[in-house]
Amino acid sequence: MKPAPFAYERPRDLHAALSMLAASNGSAKIIAGGQSLGPMLNLRLVQPELIVDISGLAELKRAEMSGGDLVLGALVTHADIEDGRAADVTRGAMRGVAANIAYRAVRNRGTIGGSLSHADPAADWISALAALGARVTLRSLAGARSMAVEAFVVGALECALHAGEIVEAVHVPARAASAHWGYAKSCRKTGEFAHAIGAVLIDPVAASARVVIGAIDTAPIVVTDAAELFGGRIAADYKQRFDVRVADALLAKAGIDDVAQRHIHVSVLKRAVQEAAA
Amino acid sequence: MKEGAELRNEREFPSSKSGQGVGARLPRKEDDRLMRGRGLYVGDVRLAGLKDVAFVRSPLAHARIRGIHVPERYRDRVFTAADLVGIKPIRAVSGLPGFKISEQPVLATGKVRQVGELVAMCLAPTRAEAEDIAASVMLDLEELPAITDMLKAREPDTALVHEHWGDNVFLETNYEVDISAALDAPIKVTREISTARQCMSPLEGRGVVATFDSRLDQLTLHSAAQMPHITRSGLAECLGMEEGQIRVISPDVGGGFGHKGILLPEEVCLSWLTMQRGHPVRWLEDRREHLVASSNCREHHYKITVYADSDGTLRGIDCEATVDSGAYSSYPFSACLEAAQVASILPGPYKMPAYRCRTFSVATNKCPILPYRGVARTGVCFALELMLDLVAAEAGLEPGEVRLRNLVRPEQMPFDNVTKKHFDSGDYPEAMRRALAAIDIDAIREKQKQGEADGRRIGVGVSIYCEQAAHGTSVYSGWGIPMVPGHEQASARLTPDGGLELRVGVHSHGQGMETTLAQVAHEILGVDVAHIRIMLGDTAMTPYSTGTWGSRSMVMAGGAVATACRELGERARRIGAKLLQHDPASVVLQNGEVRGVNGSVSLKAIAHTWYRRPQDLPADVDPGGLEVTQGYKPVRDSGTFSYAAHAAVVAVDPDLGEVEILDYVIVEDGGVLVNPLVVDGQIYGGLAQGIGTALYEEMPFDASGQPLATTLADYLLPGPTEVPAARLDHMETPSPYTQFGVKGIGEGGAIAPPAAIANAVNDALRPLGVELMQSPITPHRIVAAVLAARATERSAA
Amino acid sequence: MNTIALQVNRRAVELSAEPRTSLADFVRDKLDLTGTHLGCEHGVCGACTVLLDGVPARSCITYAAACEGADITTIEGLDEDEITTELRAAFTREHALQCGYCTPGMLVSARDLVLRLPDADERRIRVGLSGNLCRCTGYVGIVRAVQSVIEARRARSIAPQTGGGRTSLGPVGSGRAAASRSERPVQQALAPASESAAPGSIPDFVPATVLDQRFTLAQPPAEVFAMFEDIAGIAACLPGVSLKSPPSPERVEGLIRVRLGPIAAAFEGAARVERDPATLSGRIVGIGTDQRSHSATQGEIRYRLLPLEGGAATAVELSIGYTLTGMLAQVGRPGLVRDLAKRLVADFAANLDRHMSGRPSEPGAPAELSFWSIASDVLRARIARMLGRRSGTG
Repeated sequence: MKPAPFAYERPRDLHAALSMLAASNGSAKIIAGGQSLGPMLNLRLVQPELIVDISGLAELKRAEMSGGDLVLGALVTHADIEDGRAADVTRGAMRGVAANIAYRAVRNRGTIGGSLSHADPAADWISALAALGARVTLRSLAGARSMAVEAFVVGALECALHAGEIVEAVHVPARAASAHWGYAKSCRKTGEFAHAIGAVLIDPVAASARVVIGAIDTAPIVVTDAAELFGGRIAADYKQRFDVRVADALLAKAGIDDVAQRHIHVSVLKRAVQEAAA
Repeated sequence: MKEGAELRNEREFPSSKSGQGVGARLPRKEDDRLMRGRGLYVGDVRLAGLKDVAFVRSPLAHARIRGIHVPERYRDRVFTAADLVGIKPIRAVSGLPGFKISEQPVLATGKVRQVGELVAMCLAPTRAEAEDIAASVMLDLEELPAITDMLKAREPDTALVHEHWGDNVFLETNYEVDISAALDAPIKVTREISTARQCMSPLEGRGVVATFDSRLDQLTLHSAAQMPHITRSGLAECLGMEEGQIRVISPDVGGGFGHKGILLPEEVCLSWLTMQRGHPVRWLEDRREHLVASSNCREHHYKITVYADSDGTLRGIDCEATVDSGAYSSYPFSACLEAAQVASILPGPYKMPAYRCRTFSVATNKCPILPYRGVARTGVCFALELMLDLVAAEAGLEPGEVRLRNLVRPEQMPFDNVTKKHFDSGDYPEAMRRALAAIDIDAIREKQKQGEADGRRIGVGVSIYCEQAAHGTSVYSGWGIPMVPGHEQASARLTPDGGLELRVGVHSHGQGMETTLAQVAHEILGVDVAHIRIMLGDTAMTPYSTGTWGSRSMVMAGGAVATACRELGERARRIGAKLLQHDPASVVLQNGEVRGVNGSVSLKAIAHTWYRRPQDLPADVDPGGLEVTQGYKPVRDSGTFSYAAHAAVVAVDPDLGEVEILDYVIVEDGGVLVNPLVVDGQIYGGLAQGIGTALYEEMPFDASGQPLATTLADYLLPGPTEVPAARLDHMETPSPYTQFGVKGIGEGGAIAPPAAIANAVNDALRPLGVELMQSPITPHRIVAAVLAARATERSAA
Repeated sequence: MNTIALQVNRRAVELSAEPRTSLADFVRDKLDLTGTHLGCEHGVCGACTVLLDGVPARSCITYAAACEGADITTIEGLDEDEITTELRAAFTREHALQCGYCTPGMLVSARDLVLRLPDADERRIRVGLSGNLCRCTGYVGIVRAVQSVIEARRARSIAPQTGGGRTSLGPVGSGRAAASRSERPVQQALAPASESAAPGSIPDFVPATVLDQRFTLAQPPAEVFAMFEDIAGIAACLPGVSLKSPPSPERVEGLIRVRLGPIAAAFEGAARVERDPATLSGRIVGIGTDQRSHSATQGEIRYRLLPLEGGAATAVELSIGYTLTGMLAQVGRPGLVRDLAKRLVADFAANLDRHMSGRPSEPGAPAELSFWSIASDVLRARIARMLGRRSGTG
């Protein structure tokens, strides 16, 4: 189980990396921590001509506040977040998610930007960050653009990156003092990919809620205005008002026709709601 | 020496004071090198000029080979069946009447019959480059309908795995003891029960390093193998060589569990290749190859009816069992061992007057199956123990009570059951009573009445089994397979400095035999275990043995070591008597010394004199010296019967399908334990594998025969959070037939957990109308069953 | 080949290796440090775990080239290490190893736990070790051993090291390397296999997965049926398809490129075209092989036209089935492949709809594009919801 041969380039800075990508005409693949790409390379599922290793780029290793948002460079690792080396504006929400991604040895190299770019439906960040209202900055030689995480992920292993473009940073808005967070996932075993994810950010004071149903073999279902899941309005009694039928209908609409699968997803979401209310 | 002449069953052994003999909880001698990364596994073998091999494997389950296209520049580095002139296919024939023979070509010819079947062999300086070459070879295959469902495979007009057979059945067996006597029983329960196909998944895969020594005119094969002598015989048959021209060395082995008990086509291929090319060659099985290509296990289906009186007394069992044997009969166990064994072991430790079992070993387009830890017992225990819970429900009894009513009782020992299995000893009801008490069945029933605050449901389940182990000639001659175990031999040599060398033909792949066999030798000779060296796994250094399988090593090799050491001790004693100038009848060997009334002489001194100062020996000394090879067989070779009662408490979330094991109790009787620390480890490890069978492990196939769990992200092995800290209790009923009264226990831990856990899950969900009769019990299966039961309830209402 | 300079077990090492060489193969094959074991080579089992800049990392999915300048410690480098020495004593006392194959990786992970988590209870130890599989011990001895070392150190008031002593951000092992590049490897030449790429006969098959689509067109059925005769036009609607030669009415040869995230495949093959004017239905059944991944697919498109509005308009019922074999079937995760197929089918239907309605196709269509650029959201919305999967392995 060895990769097909590839050329390897380690750019000196982000601009050099983007130039290499642009010059490669689609035959290059970016590697950061390599915790998702490595297995696929070893299995020869992916056979790029060129690997551009960006793991050394200092520009992508920052974690700083900007206008109330936390800006995390794409190379910040899950362990950086878990251990608190990167600041946290989500009052522990991100630390909790990070600490339960795969295994420690994987978290020491796996990056937030890599996880988002890979867009595996079963992975944590695409669901958790969508629920937290995070945005991603994408950069190419042509410049930068920004979009919400839920717009960035478009399908199983499909994201909105254009050729020549990479994820530069993640902008995480501060979690309001009144906002409740709930995150639940069901895995066959500890550290393995989830088969159901529920993530909710509910602010009864602001009467707003973001709800995500993830790990559904395609892009997560992101409900940015989730009142309909709570009988039409968000209030302090949202836990009691959570409507499993609406959640089930969302899943059915997303093409999940296996009843038991839908039931598991709805139950996991319910657990996330209960956790938020606890 | 007369067999059994020295039989001793007393619990107190002379060595108990030294803390090193039989019964000592001795830390292992092999640990230090393994903890420092200084083990030597087959992948660590380094030979000058070594080149790597990768294989081109079939991507299809069933296809005709129209062509194999090799790029021009790789023509001299790619080898196909056409190159392997004179190499015979692997044949593992059973002598049972009606067995149909499969021939497994070492590289495919004509057809491929499973995904992963070897088609071509590619040679390069590194594995990566060999894989590059393999990737460049194009196969032109004409896909044929794949046979993936063993029940459909038995139907007429199905596609055929082996056309000339006319059907897909390796072997059908029928066994009956007056089933008509049971048919009027008031309780009659019928179900279909199945267990999933699994991969044994030792952490280390198979691996082969082959080289040829022209000086010795000898092929040397380093192979991660449980049975090196059997591998040698199989290789000699396929290669057309004399056995003496082949040496098989099995170095440190990273777990076996049955997977390393098969003769691999890769072993034959690499043997041929090294002789062809004149340099060493290596192939290491990677995880995908393990999961896709080499061997699977455990896929059983039962259609079973249990008959009982209204008080729960068993009247009989009627069963039709089918085992998916895969495409080929694997060497040496054959394609039929598992299914045919079902018929003889299904009744387990229960009394019943009537019994009928029909079995089918079915060929499909999947990899061959191999006996995995527990062999057929895990499936059999699953089927029968699930059925007994249903009998209990019908009879209105606690599941434990039904078992207590039907288990063989200690006063009936030794006991021949309905299939003539000879139970050597034990108190099965006591094991069950202890398990029920330890799990505190009454408290759980109370707790169930309260319900759980978190919405989960609590359930408790029990199971019990017997593990026939170390069964020998009388049992295996009946199967007629390529391997029949006879006497086990061991060689023992005192070295000039008083150390002890033991050469034994079994092999250790985690069982700790470098320690436990030394404990046996210490028990007899009193030599400090620090000065005892055990040599295993090398056909050139050890006496012939069928190797390590069937929980036989401690009974057989332990018995052989004891026998050889006794003979060695006897020789030393006679020499010692000479040195002490005593009448041999008046001296004894004790704690490493020969003692007489006037003094003693140590084994070390005796060895020193024998080897270094023979001039001090009297002329009439026995010239045999201090090196002996002795053979051993138990008094009866129908097997030792260890057993255990397992009890599990689970919490099941009916909405998520998650199962948590809250408590797990095992009451085990493995006879006399040579090293309880090691035995506990075997049981805990078996339990983890049993939990894998129960809840996690499954190799599914799609309709075209593609295996779908081909990475460890899909084929789930239990990790530390999936295995509970089980509680163990030991009973020690010695076997009357073996040295020290030991019994084989290596497999037992993996036999009972699927049944105990399934019974616990069903106990938890029974009030919801749910019944799960299929392993593994996955979240999806649980939730689907819960929803189906709810829908039934709604439509009935 | 790249020259790679790094520290292994406190020793400076400079050796050349291919970029694809994993750190595990690098230490095993180039330095003969065979205590680092390969158990799965895809990052799950943990047998290959080593210390990279002092903290655990998977050496099987970390490439040696990416560790330029890094500090690596394998099990052989922990001979004298204080915590590992304590762990070894506890491991042997508690019988925490049997075959020993997982043990080096297990000790590396256990050392990290001991260092970081002085308060860990049994549950946290189990979670902390969950990335290291052991097939022999059932973990009982391992957990006990680690717990005993943690407790003993706690009793000696030894302070923990937060984050294993790490202070900088980013993947461990990165950041100390200068820019560099390797030469391009020679691309693999695949064997000519023209016979297999364009099979003579195209067999029938039972698709493993079937996806249904339905849409309506304003033209009468006979007119739509005639359009289905234009096989090149139909092919142009299939995302990623390119035809090798002008098709005959019965047979077409070509290539379909599909992409699932970073996985790219190009199935080369042929299809047979069948039409039944009596029932206004037809079928295109094809077979193709992706040489690179040694995978093959069989697919069929069935269509049936039903009159609407008294024959003025047509309902097109599409049924698209496929079976995948080989590597992509085995490791592609059926759910993800199905998601891809759903997207493909939706785009195909949208393109057909557009093609037959006589609207111009989107710029850049048809071949070799990411599916997401093909169908606009507006057109996507015109497609009736997928009617559901009829069979499959779900």
